[in-house]
Amino acid sequence: MNVIAIAQEYFWGFFIATGTTLQLTAVSLVLAVGIGLLFAFLKLSGNRAANIFADAYIGLTRGMPLIVQLMFLYFGISSIVTLSSFWAGTLALAFHAGGYVAEILRGAIQNIDRGQTEAARSLGMSRGKTMLLIVLPQAFRRAIPSLGNQFIIGLKDSTLVAFLGVPELFSKAMTAAAANYQPFETYLVAGTYYLVLVLIFTKLVNRLETRLTPDRQEAAR
Amino acid sequence: MSVIDIRGLHKSFGDLSVLKGIDLKVEPGEVVVIIGPSGSGKSTLLRCLNFLEYPDEGEIRVNGELIDPNKSDLDKVRQHMGMVFQGFHLFPHQNVLHNITLAPINVKGMSHKKANLIARDLLDKVGLPDREKTWPSQLSGGQKQRVAIARALAMDPDIMLFDEVTSALDPELVNEVLQVMQDLAAGGMTMVVVTHEMGFAREMADRVIMMDDGRIIEQGTPTELFENPQEERTKAFIGQVL
Repeated sequence: MNVIAIAQEYFWGFFIATGTTLQLTAVSLVLAVGIGLLFAFLKLSGNRAANIFADAYIGLTRGMPLIVQLMFLYFGISSIVTLSSFWAGTLALAFHAGGYVAEILRGAIQNIDRGQTEAARSLGMSRGKTMLLIVLPQAFRRAIPSLGNQFIIGLKDSTLVAFLGVPELFSKAMTAAAANYQPFETYLVAGTYYLVLVLIFTKLVNRLETRLTPDRQEAAR
Repeated sequence: MSVIDIRGLHKSFGDLSVLKGIDLKVEPGEVVVIIGPSGSGKSTLLRCLNFLEYPDEGEIRVNGELIDPNKSDLDKVRQHMGMVFQGFHLFPHQNVLHNITLAPINVKGMSHKKANLIARDLLDKVGLPDREKTWPSQLSGGQKQRVAIARALAMDPDIMLFDEVTSALDPELVNEVLQVMQDLAAGGMTMVVVTHEMGFAREMADRVIMMDDGRIIEQGTPTELFENPQEERTKAFIGQVL
């Protein structure tokens, strides 16, 4: 089997490129959570202008193919400031995922029982502290499965950054396949890397969910 | 000085007029029990007292100070008023101890050490001394409500508001909550209690208020109201619930 030979030959190269893929994904998702939180608040603010602005952003990010957004932002941003392809890719991925994360967080925040807010306010907590100490911790915990799902989508979306020349896993696989004329074996190996990453990550999310819900965890015992 | 002094309170939700001119004073140490049929505005009145609902019309004075919901510091006003809800609303992501210490630490800036001392003392008082590390989801309804009372008391309020706090409980758990409320009343706490527990109203109330259709239609001592009601609607209501 050539697959084993290919797997051995490219092991370190793919391994290092996987690091880049993970960095791209992790940094862009952290940024996306920040962006998402901001736009979730804009949508929940009740301010008309803020609502329209947030809807426009969410509509744009969800309504256009990621590759179009990537190209647009990459060439758009680099015509104003010089950015490394890594950061251009990361920012574009964050911009794209931010729209989805905004909707995930808005839903999670809205689903927290009003009674929680009323109880906190009745204790004299300000609006801000109520959000920070009572609503957000519960909303994030409820959003973990959806955010984990978004991370998995982001991990796979990061392949598109190859077209900006970022040396991540998929771009390494393309280069390798072009050089060794064995695309089937090469992409099979690269695909396996992604599959393993997703499986590991799914386990981690499940574990995080259990750990962050100590009440349910102990109740289940 | 009255803890609460309400004059001409009106409140509507859309076209639905819920409170149609309420005057009410609550004196320090007084236990006022509000009774009346569902939809009569009892809960809305209670929620107006700590401005969870903003009144449309009328004046509310707390400890003599006229409160304007749009200008006054409502967070400060609410710190002086504890509220306990029908649905408990404990914070599910915090254990029992932290449920109680969260507000004293984060609102009053109390030290953790002092807040813990107060919380443990209150847990003793509500009969749950060994539950500080427990999660809300592991408690029975009666235990949840007792923690909720302790949580409100931890802010050292001048007045406690109880909004049908036993209505969501299994019948055998009602008494443990009423017992805590009786201890509080006996200890001199000022209380406004919306309830269907006529036994509690009879024994503990200094004054019983009968509401119907957004108005206070009759009030007096428990003996006056229960033994000798003046209004037909009061008679009918008491006849039904007793």
